[in-house]
Formats: sequence, structure tokens, C-alpha cells
Amino acid sequence: MNMLREQVRADLLAFSRRPETLFFTVFLPVIFLVLFEAIFGGQTVTLASGDVVAQSFLQVPAFMVMGVISASFVALAITVVNRRETGTYKRVRGTPAPAWVLIAGQVVTSLVIALLMVLVMLALGSFAYGVRVELDHLPWLIAVVLIGAIAFSCLGMMLAALTPSTEAAPPLANVVVLPLYFISGVFVPIESLPTWLGNIAEWLPVAPFVKVATWAYVPATTTPWNSLGLLIAWGLVGLLIASWRFRWTPRRG
Amino acid sequence: MTPAISVTGLLKRYGDRNVVDGLDLEVQQGEVLAFLGRNGAGKTTTTEILEGYRERDGGEVLVLGQDPATAGADWRAKLGIVLQESRPLGALTVRETLRLYAAYFPHPRGVDEVIALVGLEEQANQRAGRLSGGQQRRLDVGVALIGNPELVFLDEPTTGFDPDARRQFWDVISGLRDLGTTVFLTTHYMDEAQVLADRVAVMRDGKVAALGTPAELQALRGDVEIRFVLPTGLALDALPQLSKPTLLTGGEVRVETTAPTADLAALCTWAEGRGLELEGLTVERPTLEDVFLAIAGDHAEVDA
Repeated sequence: MNMLREQVRADLLAFSRRPETLFFTVFLPVIFLVLFEAIFGGQTVTLASGDVVAQSFLQVPAFMVMGVISASFVALAITVVNRRETGTYKRVRGTPAPAWVLIAGQVVTSLVIALLMVLVMLALGSFAYGVRVELDHLPWLIAVVLIGAIAFSCLGMMLAALTPSTEAAPPLANVVVLPLYFISGVFVPIESLPTWLGNIAEWLPVAPFVKVATWAYVPATTTPWNSLGLLIAWGLVGLLIASWRFRWTPRRG
Repeated sequence: MTPAISVTGLLKRYGDRNVVDGLDLEVQQGEVLAFLGRNGAGKTTTTEILEGYRERDGGEVLVLGQDPATAGADWRAKLGIVLQESRPLGALTVRETLRLYAAYFPHPRGVDEVIALVGLEEQANQRAGRLSGGQQRRLDVGVALIGNPELVFLDEPTTGFDPDARRQFWDVISGLRDLGTTVFLTTHYMDEAQVLADRVAVMRDGKVAALGTPAELQALRGDVEIRFVLPTGLALDALPQLSKPTLLTGGEVRVETTAPTADLAALCTWAEGRGLELEGLTVERPTLEDVFLAIAGDHAEVDA
């Protein structure tokens, strides 16, 4: 346990000292939320249930999801590829440290950052935009965020396993997530997409995450068990492919 | 005392090429062994088999009494490894890096003790990414020492160093010997081997081609070389009876001899009798470098 604690401590330190990951992971979702609130903040939307809520009720959880995915999927994949290709992992594998410590360290690190993102978004949402999450919903929100963060950590490991080089990691990770944000209800509601595109998006991992996060945030919606199941299923797919293709040593040599 | 490393008939194939081809080697506890060879001779492959990173295709290998292919965490706790290419995490400081690696080991050395061992006291709170190349390599060694290892592998640790950095690094390795640590040092610098090693093993074509103390290896080519420029207008057969004269380009004569006194006497008497001054007259023992070149083979091979 001491080993895991030191690993997480070191990983968090290293994360906090890289300005570029800090910017893309923590600040970019915040900037997006602030901009979207400035543009669409005054509008209201009618939910499927018939309730009319402020647009902010959908935007805050959507960008919270973006922050969690940045931390667990994008940042994790980039870090793991970097450590593999620079020989850091190879070196650690020459010590008595078991493999699970490295993986758990990385996943716990992204969970911590994900929870931090939730806190930032919660604070922004309630103080700046007046959307408060109900207290009895808070445990649900945290549970949903943790499930999503773990699922996207598994997908991040999968991406890392499939990425050939340090240089390829950042563009590859962003090419995967940016279009997904557009079609999965982060930037625009899924309802406003062409039906065929919406149908595809519903089956990909980002849309179900947005759905469950919105559900945890907005009291008056029905529990989206299907979405939760789909999110977990994607996590398992990531885990399977990652454990099949993962390696500790650099690709070259 | 059981040897720290014992290798018999080690075999490693890449495709249809035997990169390691029946290598035998024993390293005693507390010994500093320099493992030499040209690029592509199979040094790194052999080292990585000993470290447990690669699997072998044949032969017996015991490192600290265990087979690296099957040994577990308790075995790795007794090793320190400096890979040929690896960088510490650039964002962590020297102290933070050592603290992290200390957590991986059951009985680590103190972080400050290791910082002093590798001479990074002044850089202790600097991020690894901002250290010079030589300092980063010393941090690498520090990371290898943090677990209090019985055996340390160093794979070409000083490649790319300036002379100052190399000398500082050598001090660190000498310090290890004083601590009683066994050191397996892969290098292609002869002077490094001469300064640091108790024994030198030279690898060629996947085998150990020569093994011994630096002095023993030097004695392998015991011939002394006498060189001088052949006086103008004279042919080689005009010279007195000498051991083994060869005419080189530029009119230089090389005499390889086991009896330098007799040869020199004959040569000097002959020259003086004719009133000749022998230009460029030198007498030299072969350096360890010459011995290495002779054993390792002069041709450069492709890096494997």
C-alpha cells in the first residue's frame, strides 16, 4: 500500500508539473463551459419528461464529463505511452514493483484528477450559473463519475496499447475524443443531430457517460440503466484489448 | 563462495543468426567485471538476459543463485539496473525520484545516502529533466543503488559523456566497489575498463573471446613495438638482423619483438656505425586498446 501511495503521489506531482496536460485536462473544459454559458446560458430546454430546465443544467454535467474524459482517457494514454517509450516502465519492471502498482497508480491518479474536475464544475455550476445538484443526488453523481472515469481509464489503456510512439499519442487521443464530444451531447444536444448520426453516437462510449452524468445532475429524469450498462461494457472492451496488446517495453528494440 | 553470475553455453537466436553463441562467463561476488565488445557483438542481448528482460534459447544462467527467466520480486530486490537507454521522469526532482524508487524495494538505502553516493547533493531539489546528461546518468545509477543491491548492471553508462563527467562517474563506480557491490559493466571504452575493472571479458561473435585482468589481457600481446623511419635510399634488407620487421606506408618500419633490448642494440649499433640518425624512433608496449582491437576484431558491425 505504501508503494501505491508513493506511486500516486509521484504521478500526481508529475501531472501537476506538466503545463500542457494541465491546460488540456483541467482548464480547457472550464474554458468551454464558461464560453458556452456566455452564449447559451440564458436559454431553457424542454426535457423528454416535459420539464423545462435551464440550459445550464445540461451544460454543466456535459463539460464535467469532458473534464473526466480528458483526465482518464487523454492524459492517461499520453502518459502511459510516454513512459513506455522513454524506458521508464522497462526500468521499473526491473525492480520488485509489481505491474499492478504502475497501472493502479495511473488509474488512481486519473480518478483523483477526475474528482477534482467534478469539484471545479460543481463549484462553477452552483456559484456562477445557479445550477445546484440536489444533496441526495451527490453520491449518485460521484458514483457515476467514478464508473465513467474507470471505464475511460480502461479505454485509455487500450489506446496506449495501440499507439506506436510518443509523438502519435496526443493527436491520436484528441482525434478520437473531439468528434465524439460533438456527436455525443457535449457541445450540441444529440436531439439536434441527424437521426443516423445520433443513432451511431448513442452506441459509442461518450454519449452514455453524458446521459448518466446528466441524470445524476438533473433530478427529474428517469434512471438510464441502459446507458450505465453500455458505459461499463465499453470499459470492459477497453480492459480486454488493453490486456491483450499492452507491453511495457518501447516499440523500437 | 558462489559466483554472483554464472553462465554456461548461453544461446540466443534472432532469426537464423546466433547473436549469443555458446557464451561462458563467471563473475565473482564483489568483483567489477567490464564486459567489452563492438556494437553488435551481443553485449546488450547478453546483459538483458542476465537481467531477466529477455528469454534465452539455450544454456544455463544463474544470477545470484537464481535463473533470471523464472526469478521473482525477491530476486529483483537484490539487483540494480542501469539500462542503456532510459531517462528518469523529467518532472520529478532528484529526491522525489529516489523516494519513489525506494518505495519499490523492501530494504532501501536512505535517499540522502544515495544522493551523496552519486554526488548530486547540490542538485537534490532540481527536476531530473533539467540536469545535465552526466548528472541524469548519475541519477540513473542512484536509482539502481536505492534498493541496496548486491549486484549492479551498468549498460554503457558513460556513452556521450564529456571527459569531466566520465571521471566523476568513475569515482561513483569505484565507490561501489568499496561497498562490496558486484558490478557488471558493459562498455566499449577500454580506458574505462582499465580504470574500473578487476577483470575484463571481451565478447566477439557471441562468445567470450578473452577474459582476464587488464594486465593479463595486455600480456596476451606481449610484443613490444619498435618503430622508426627507414633512412632514405635504403631498403628493408639493408637493416641488421631484427626480430620481425615490417615496412609500413610512409617509409616507417615496425618491429614486433619479444626481445626489445637485443633488437634495439643491434639497430642502434648499425645506425651509429653508419652515422645515421633514426627518425621517429619509438619503443612502445601495446595498450589495452590495441589488445581490444585485436581481440574484438577491427571491422565495425551493424548495431543489433
